[in-house]
Amino acid sequence: MARPTTIRIPEELLNEIDQLVRELSLDRSAYLREVLRKGFEIDKQDRLLEKYIRGELSQMEVCSQMNWDPWEFSDQLKARNMHLNVDLEDWLDASEIG
Amino acid sequence: MARVVTDSSALILLARCTLLEIACEIFEISAPSAVVSEVASETMVKKYPDAALISDLISKGSIRVQDPGATKTNLSISLHHGEKQALLLALNMEGSIFATDDGKAIKAARFLRVPFIITPRLLVELFRLQKISFKKGRGSLEKLGKIGRYSPEIIADALVSLMEEKNGKTNNHKNT
Repeated sequence: MARPTTIRIPEELLNEIDQLVRELSLDRSAYLREVLRKGFEIDKQDRLLEKYIRGELSQMEVCSQMNWDPWEFSDQLKARNMHLNVDLEDWLDASEIG
Repeated sequence: MARVVTDSSALILLARCTLLEIACEIFEISAPSAVVSEVASETMVKKYPDAALISDLISKGSIRVQDPGATKTNLSISLHHGEKQALLLALNMEGSIFATDDGKAIKAARFLRVPFIITPRLLVELFRLQKISFKKGRGSLEKLGKIGRYSPEIIADALVSLMEEKNGKTNNHKNT
């Protein structure tokens, strides 16, 4: 069930939104909900991946929070031109197999 | 035979850079059931050919499915269930090495003083043990960079190690 909330939006942005909604004959509330949903997903992904890069989250912790399977994790990194959070020190410290 | 306990990240990268089968022949590879569920569930097997390979290797007994059992070890670093189970299994299994390609899991391994290995190092080890050719090693390293998203610095360093091993072998042959 949708619940009402109040936010302040800069006038310029609101004018742009209203103009687009009119031009495309969209439902203003439905459009704003869709924009919020899309923006939230992108922002959530970015913030979780930033935490991953800092070593604060593991791959599987990110996958779990984003509902990704572990096989698509590297594709998600590739899409953002990011790399694994394993650093040079980890490579140098890694054990050899005797 | 060296014992290697893998989490999901290492199992996936070993499969993706086509080293998993050879690694299973050389090392005793184990993974906890939570890791197997993450990477080789029925859904994953249908979706990813490499998941089917992992499932097949488990069926053949080339990858052992083992759980750490009850432990009193207090892990202060939070990890996902499979990563934690793999780390605890490595901790409980004497003489084993924890294989992971995750920075946070490596931090936890350091904290618990569990020896760890990452896939590029495992690749160099396979070459050192003469189980893969230089060409194969270089090809798999390229995959670790492109598909596995390893940083260019680590891939370059691993390539140097591979070349040093190659040159060492050549020099040894010359000296004998």
